[in-house]
Amino acid sequence: MLDRRDFLKLGGATAFAALFGGCDRIPKKIIPFVIPPENTALGESLWYASACRQCPAGCGIVVRVSEGRAKKIEGNPLHPVNRGKLCARGQAGLQALYHPERIGRPLKLSGPRGSGKFAETSWEEALSILLTGLKKLQAAAPASLLMLTEPMRGHRNLVAARFMRAFGSPHRIAWDPFGQDALLAANEAVFGIRDVPEYDIANARYLLSFSGDFLETGISPVHYGRAYGQMRQSRPTVRGKFVHFGPRLSMTAANADVFLPIAPGSEGAAALGIAHVMVREKLTPSAAAAASLWAAGLSRMTPEAVGKATGLLPSDIEAVAHEFAGNAPGIAMAGDGAAGCTNGTYNLAGAALLNALAGNVGRQGGISFPNRLAAFSRFGADAALLLPPPESGFASVRDSVEKMRKGTYRMALLSGSTNPAFSLPAPLKFGEALLSVPQVVSFASFLDETASLSDLVLPVPTFLEEWGDDIAPAGHAGDALSMLQPVVDPFRDTRQMPDILIAAARELGGAVAAALPWAGFRECLEKSYAGMGVNLEAARRDGGVFPGKTPAPRTAPKAQRPSLPVAAEAEFEGDPARYPLFLHVYPSIAHSDGRGANLSWLQELPDPVTTAVWRNWVEVNPKTAETLGLADGDGVVVASPFGSMEAFVVVHPATAPGVVALPLGQGHTRYGTNAANRGGNPFSLLPVKADRGSGAPARQSTRVSLAKAKLAGSLVRTVNVEGQWKYENIL
Amino acid sequence: MLRRRRQAALVASLLALLLLGGAAAASALTSQPIRYNHNVHVVAYKMDCRFCHSSAMKTASAGIPSVEKCMICHRVIAVDHPEIKKIAQYWKEKKPIPWNRVTELPDYTYFPHFRMVNAGIACLTCHPGMDKVDVAVQEQEFTMGFCLKCHKARGVSIECWSCHI
Repeated sequence: MLDRRDFLKLGGATAFAALFGGCDRIPKKIIPFVIPPENTALGESLWYASACRQCPAGCGIVVRVSEGRAKKIEGNPLHPVNRGKLCARGQAGLQALYHPERIGRPLKLSGPRGSGKFAETSWEEALSILLTGLKKLQAAAPASLLMLTEPMRGHRNLVAARFMRAFGSPHRIAWDPFGQDALLAANEAVFGIRDVPEYDIANARYLLSFSGDFLETGISPVHYGRAYGQMRQSRPTVRGKFVHFGPRLSMTAANADVFLPIAPGSEGAAALGIAHVMVREKLTPSAAAAASLWAAGLSRMTPEAVGKATGLLPSDIEAVAHEFAGNAPGIAMAGDGAAGCTNGTYNLAGAALLNALAGNVGRQGGISFPNRLAAFSRFGADAALLLPPPESGFASVRDSVEKMRKGTYRMALLSGSTNPAFSLPAPLKFGEALLSVPQVVSFASFLDETASLSDLVLPVPTFLEEWGDDIAPAGHAGDALSMLQPVVDPFRDTRQMPDILIAAARELGGAVAAALPWAGFRECLEKSYAGMGVNLEAARRDGGVFPGKTPAPRTAPKAQRPSLPVAAEAEFEGDPARYPLFLHVYPSIAHSDGRGANLSWLQELPDPVTTAVWRNWVEVNPKTAETLGLADGDGVVVASPFGSMEAFVVVHPATAPGVVALPLGQGHTRYGTNAANRGGNPFSLLPVKADRGSGAPARQSTRVSLAKAKLAGSLVRTVNVEGQWKYENIL
Repeated sequence: MLRRRRQAALVASLLALLLLGGAAAASALTSQPIRYNHNVHVVAYKMDCRFCHSSAMKTASAGIPSVEKCMICHRVIAVDHPEIKKIAQYWKEKKPIPWNRVTELPDYTYFPHFRMVNAGIACLTCHPGMDKVDVAVQEQEFTMGFCLKCHKARGVSIECWSCHI
């Protein structure tokens, strides 16, 4: 038998064996590729050039790819729009690629429409549902097909347009909440040219901005941000001066040398006040133009009158006018805050007039109108489809909602990140109207509010997995075109929308098949560019074609003799007694209209002015807050005549008294766990109103009231590192 | 007598334990999802190591061949062999083969295969016996002395940060 000593010996030996017998290396796995991606070198990175589609600015990107996985997105140094720079939203494109909530298989409705309940299905079945619907429609009533997309450029717009035209439906609508309608209308009125100008900020000596947050949002924030840096620091003897007018201290306004707060919607009046002083003091190069403007009514825009309308000191208007005229070349630009009023065109025309008066059109450091379509002349009438004007399409969307209710459409094809069910004013009831369309097919990567209302969702790849081309709306002098190529193999079982349309056209036959005679979208692009003499291999290596020789800019016929913009006052909905505060909404730097809200990198990006993350807030002037008994961090219900939403108060000294500012972008009900249930949606407060001059959505057109409320959770603001920031100290 | 028997029992159980533990560890290292035979490929068919370990000339890692590369030949060669059938199954399912790692250097060393291979060092210098075995084994222990002996003999860098970067 074992005695105690033996038991201990045996026990010790067992422990030794167990410890050291098992102390060998645990085998690690080496998992090779099944099929290696082309040109893969283990542990070595490859860089692929493409273009960003996180916003419509169209920056060039290069993506670091290691062993078939995209690791980092950077700006393309060769691309004229961003010259190697890239913003946070572009960087976050990787998260869209790897997002766990991406749609990976076609989805078929498995509950009632709008319930958001879907079941996965095969591509064969999904495409047969699509084709059965299209074939039925083609035979009976082709004009009852609706295609509602985000604004598209390049050949994917060409494919969509040709498909709809050959199918026989005129109902092709592109919706963009931040369309440039007012800018186009203003330039048509002042310069006689309906186009987005090129602002040569880098070479300007003086910059006036009227609610134009060009450094954070707007047409091309990366391009203008870089140019702004050059304006301030790249010339040894000149540091350009920057003056910002607006109702809110945005990040752009905070960068200005002088920030002059003005009443919402009075940007046009402020610009004309400056113009008045320039003409009165004979500070303009063209006396004839000045005289005709003076006679047309500019004489009435005295600094005193303008001061009353805007809240500016007449002496500030005089001083800015003298500086602007004395520091040529200068630029006056106006942005979304001014364009989104019911007098948006008037506001933007005021800024345009200042450029014309100061003789800044067509000169270095001023504004110009490049001929961006010069390279595509061989497309004839189709050339305009490659770079359509960046309009909002608001009038068409409103019209389409009416038609949905009347039953005009029997089928709708939806695509894009502008998410109309989220980004249209709530009183329009877009979602409700969409439910009355018998068949709705969405092309989407994520189940946002709009895609959730469809009965078939076809998954599309993200921009990092796509073939394509693009022409940036601003930031280059001419025919610079970008090439998109897949930087990785598609992660999910997705197909590009143009590929689906081309395949559908082939099945439909006849005129539709003849209009899209390609095997796929890649072939369409390659044939088209080969026909233009573009070296595709070089273009894909460089990320596009960037000609060194600038095509001659277009001439602005009325630049020498501009006409005076027709004065218009901004209108605001809501009884001032019940709704005492003006509502100023602005696109969030991280989420824009809300499309970035599903990416956690963007959710945790602190807002540059308030440092808030993950939630919604409302900026309130300290005096207003005191009157209402509100403190920083309090929960409030923001109510307009059209709806209400919850938000946290951020007491901010640079918000004009009587104005509250709300960022757009949060307030999703769907769109994944990162986006949903993070406060209210400011679009739900907005009226269905448009800028009278251009038809653009007028977001700055309602008053609101604030009422204290107890909200769950709190607003998280990151630590401020710039030192003391308490408003008590600077008031 | 009783005492000696007890001692023998003790020694036997100790040995059994050690053997069991050791065998378990050894089998985990030498067993692979597919019994790939290095000897047949390298000696009988005279294939260059770099045909399969194709990134040895280009990158730090020599690389493990993709399933696709196996199937280039084994679509037609030895298709009835039970081990080849396993590869065909991986290929059919489009799944990678989960090989067990045999040779590994610690994280604090940098060993660029391409430097050695392009300098003309034969693979067998560091991987001796690989041409004689079927499933890969590591016969040579990669101690710093082993590396330095060769570096000194060839008059190449023995700076610390040549390898410890």
